[in-house]
Amino acid sequence: MIRILNILLLLVSTGAKEAGKKAAEQGAPELPNFITLLYERYGKTALVQFLHTWQNVVFSLIIILILGFVAYFSSRRKTLLPGKLQNFMEIAVESLDNFICGILGPRGRQFTPFLGTLFIYILCMNFLGLIPGMKSPSSSLNTTVALAICVFLYVQFTGIKNLGIIGYLDHLAGNPRDFVTWALVPINLPIHIIGELAKPMSLSLRLFGNITGEDILIAVFVSLGVMALSFLNLPVGLPLQVPFIFLALLTGTIQALVFTLLSTIYFLLMFPHEEEKH
Amino acid sequence: MTYQTALALALPFGLAIAAFGSAIGLGRAVSAAMEAMGRQPEAAGKIQVGMIIGCALLEALTIYALVTVFVLSGKIG
Repeated sequence: MIRILNILLLLVSTGAKEAGKKAAEQGAPELPNFITLLYERYGKTALVQFLHTWQNVVFSLIIILILGFVAYFSSRRKTLLPGKLQNFMEIAVESLDNFICGILGPRGRQFTPFLGTLFIYILCMNFLGLIPGMKSPSSSLNTTVALAICVFLYVQFTGIKNLGIIGYLDHLAGNPRDFVTWALVPINLPIHIIGELAKPMSLSLRLFGNITGEDILIAVFVSLGVMALSFLNLPVGLPLQVPFIFLALLTGTIQALVFTLLSTIYFLLMFPHEEEKH
Repeated sequence: MTYQTALALALPFGLAIAAFGSAIGLGRAVSAAMEAMGRQPEAAGKIQVGMIIGCALLEALTIYALVTVFVLSGKIG
């Protein structure tokens, strides 16, 4: 136990010094996570280099494993009077279902698994970065662009499946019915296509920017706290970053909600429009 | 004037203008939401959800400017 604490203290103090040095070299400071700390100590081995290259994937896999275990254990023996875990999961699933079906209508139930998982996954990714020694995978542009591309492809596929190819192109060209709208098709079509392409870009950049901004804010305040007590020459610092961790909780939740809500609205726009006139 | 000087002068101004614009927009959105909540307190839950979503969409534009600052600030020094 004492040996584990010694190793942890050594890793953390190395990490604090490295983070301080890195902050002096580059622009955006970043808190060390356990993979970066392992890389500082054991960077020559192939395993740690592999982990360091794919650190976002490693953290995403950690979240997936945790969510998978929770989902498995909560739905193993479904009883009519649920226990605590099943009750909690039922609350989460039912509130997400109500939220999504409230926007998409009763036909939206087939999209609840995808959109609900998106919300829970992004929420867990945003919160993982607040645990000391972990990093949010969504603070890297790769993860957010991957999620946005998944949503984009699924939305286009749903559009083609619901409207048919002709209806889909018709929808993209702005529903030309009379002479004026037919004449405007060369303007409408590129604008709609650019709008469709801008949607995953804005989704990914919004999530990436918010979570990276929060991470950098917390890292700056951690380094301020460490600098405040630097005269002691110990790896301790004032916990100045605690209010910003609460702020990061709030913005993490809001960003997950906004990502899911916007994806739901993109699905809504792909449904046939005649249904809305009642 | 080297490009680093130009970047160092322009980036904070760009971010400040983006923050200023979003502050005006967010102020208007939140004030409208507060007024609507005052008129009809039983709809306060829905109005609050809508306000949060509108604020997040407005904030996104400032975040684009912040991301640009992150990307370009590496080129300064």
